[in-house]
Amino acid sequence: MTMPALMTHPTVRFLARRLAYSVVVLIGVLVVVFALVHLVPGDPVRIALGTRYTPEAYDALRQASGLDRPLLVQFFSYLGNAVTGDLGVSFRNGDPVSQVLMERLPATVSLAVVGILVALVIALPAGIWSALREGRVSDAIVRVTSQFGVSVPDFWLGILLIALFATTLGWFPTSGYRPLFSDPGGWLAHIVLPGLTVGLVAAAILTRYVRSAVLEVSAMGYVRTAKSKGLAPQVVTMRHTVRNALVPILTITGIQLATILGGVIVVEVVFAWPGLGRLVYNSVAARDYPVIQGAVLLIAALFLLINLIVDALYAVVDPRIRLS
Amino acid sequence: VIDVRQAAAAITAVLVLLMAACSPGQGVDLGRGSGNLIAAIGGEPDQLDPQKTSAYFSFEVLENVFDTLVAPDANLEMKPALAERWELSSDQLTWTFHLRNGVTFHDGTPLRADDVVYSYRRIIDEKLSNVDKFSAVTDVQAVDPATVVIRVKQPTPNLLTNLGGFKGMAIVLRSNVESGQIATHPVGTGPFAFVSRKSGDNIVLKANPNYWGGAPKIPGVTFQFISEPSTALSALQAGEIDWTDSVPTQRVTQLRNDDSIHLAVTPSNDYWYLALNEAKPPWNDSRVRQAIAYAIDRKAIVQATSYGTAVANQLAIPDGNPWFAPYGKYDLDLDKAKSLLAEAGGAPKAMDMLVTSEYPQTVTAAQVIADNLAPLGITVNIRTVDMATWLDQQNSGNFDMLMMGWLGNIDPDDFYYAQHHTGGTSNAQKFSNPDVDRLLDAGRSETDQNARRDDYAKAAAIIADQASYIYLYNPSVIQAWNTKLTGYDARRDKAIRFATASLTEPVSQ
Repeated sequence: MTMPALMTHPTVRFLARRLAYSVVVLIGVLVVVFALVHLVPGDPVRIALGTRYTPEAYDALRQASGLDRPLLVQFFSYLGNAVTGDLGVSFRNGDPVSQVLMERLPATVSLAVVGILVALVIALPAGIWSALREGRVSDAIVRVTSQFGVSVPDFWLGILLIALFATTLGWFPTSGYRPLFSDPGGWLAHIVLPGLTVGLVAAAILTRYVRSAVLEVSAMGYVRTAKSKGLAPQVVTMRHTVRNALVPILTITGIQLATILGGVIVVEVVFAWPGLGRLVYNSVAARDYPVIQGAVLLIAALFLLINLIVDALYAVVDPRIRLS
Repeated sequence: VIDVRQAAAAITAVLVLLMAACSPGQGVDLGRGSGNLIAAIGGEPDQLDPQKTSAYFSFEVLENVFDTLVAPDANLEMKPALAERWELSSDQLTWTFHLRNGVTFHDGTPLRADDVVYSYRRIIDEKLSNVDKFSAVTDVQAVDPATVVIRVKQPTPNLLTNLGGFKGMAIVLRSNVESGQIATHPVGTGPFAFVSRKSGDNIVLKANPNYWGGAPKIPGVTFQFISEPSTALSALQAGEIDWTDSVPTQRVTQLRNDDSIHLAVTPSNDYWYLALNEAKPPWNDSRVRQAIAYAIDRKAIVQATSYGTAVANQLAIPDGNPWFAPYGKYDLDLDKAKSLLAEAGGAPKAMDMLVTSEYPQTVTAAQVIADNLAPLGITVNIRTVDMATWLDQQNSGNFDMLMMGWLGNIDPDDFYYAQHHTGGTSNAQKFSNPDVDRLLDAGRSETDQNARRDDYAKAAAIIADQASYIYLYNPSVIQAWNTKLTGYDARRDKAIRFATASLTEPVSQ
């Protein structure tokens, strides 16, 4: 393929357009976050110094953090640095923000991926099964269970799982995180309970969507046709019903995944999980502007990435959908 | 084109793999495998510069990394640390400290008198938060590499407490400060050296084999951040951690009967108080403040905030402390409160009470207090904000009443001066009383121990009588550790010292 041909290839054009669009979105996000953190009451310097401090120490820290400069100057200097990948240093502890984010990202991605896998493994069969048996007792059981799952607070579920599987049975550690690549066994042992907590709650939501998506497709004319021409029920279900229901299922899965990536603060607190959610929460409490801005940018970028993947998968699932 | 069965098979394969790898044994636990003591603390330290941080989570770690010239023993009496001995001139104005021989920083640099001078000058010249500890100091000088001379403008009986009361007065390494590394990679002289920090996860320290107080018996300490107390307790019961101070207070009673865990509930020097904004009427009238003090039900507050583990107190200093003075004017008395309000011209209709979610006990107590003041006809509007906003509001005087606590005080000067002296740095309530000022000033230079105790007892009585603070209670230090951990004890100043700790493996298992 020659260069011009590559440039006009629909996939490349699609990616280029999405990239440009993503940059615009990220800058928009940055403007909003920057404005918000600076407008919210509360002074990062004061909170860093605590209840006892001298005016001199206050001024020195304010100057060192660059907070004494006009807001627009601060913004453009931040933007200039951010473009080169320099997200500044934390007011709170002096760590470079990009380093902090890279330390937190693996934990968050691990939890999101495992959580969404758990959710899919439960929700896909349960939702399909329930839809195919609409109105029967088994359908009612799935619906009641998922309703229960949606209503269960995740911190409570987490504490219960810890009490049963960690404290009583001793199968898994209660809390903490181990990196996947340096300690795969530790990673696995530590991710089971938080992954289940996140996954079970997401599964409850997903099941309901899978069920309604499958139900909607089942009522379509082509499904009736397939049935009436004598196809085996499994073939009808897999080839006609489920495959056509995959588009809405993909959409909601993408949203769920993005939500988990954005931080499941409560689960992170219960399992002492070093993810992005807790980072954002603590940074907001400390008014640690550079960390809040960096983390929100990263989360927004993850959202855009997932959107992109979901859009690409639409085309895989349904060839009628073109990438454009 | 995707094949649903293939996708399902792939997902199943991944999960089977996941589960297969999940066999008992559960891989290497980084903290455990190292033989380190694993300590769970309730939150993440901010910066690790001991002279600049104000966070207790930071001090829990830094207590083990840094030293001071002198340091408090279990009874909070100052004992030699980096200074082996000291002399006080007969006019009580010159203190000469002789440094211990052969002390080195963790990077191998020998400790010299210049380091002490540098550390103190940094606090004084940059006017760091602890500069008030040097308010009487006129000069700090290294006369030779092993001797530091500190001159004071007046006899200063609490100089040792000021220099050694907490690690905010740590001796730091100049090159560590000047490189800017101290906030993230601190280098001290303490029993443990800083190794690493993982954001949101842990801080690892390793033993300093050359520690002047003797090499620690454990290879290191891993501080794990577990903010949910029930998780920390589960981790302790499961043997994943050895020590924690993140203990759910509602489970203290039950834990007292648990033989597998050592529970310490030690009265602390911390205290929680209410302060009324005296810059605003009607709170500038001492009778109105006294009426509030009479209407507060401390027992109910203690029960609600700490499940009875705290001790109600009408003054700051708890019973058992050498500076304790008895005081019991404000026993719950609604009639007295009503008559005081009537004298002052009637009860205020509403009161804005500032509390913060950062310290949930303030929110809980506020609800009890709102209930307590209702019979007086005062509607308490509880305003719950985060810490950043709270500090803003307190500083700009935008409150009727607030609740807060002071932590880690040792000398009575710590308890009273900044809070109640006219124009004191922490006198947000704008209290001013010439007798209190005179007594607090006298206490700073009174060298006769009994006369000094008398000054502070008198000052404290006026402060409480005038309700500059309405004192509520002293919380307890609550810590739990497993039976493997020995050589450690909970201290009333909440200093977490693992220098002498050891871990014994249980015989069976």
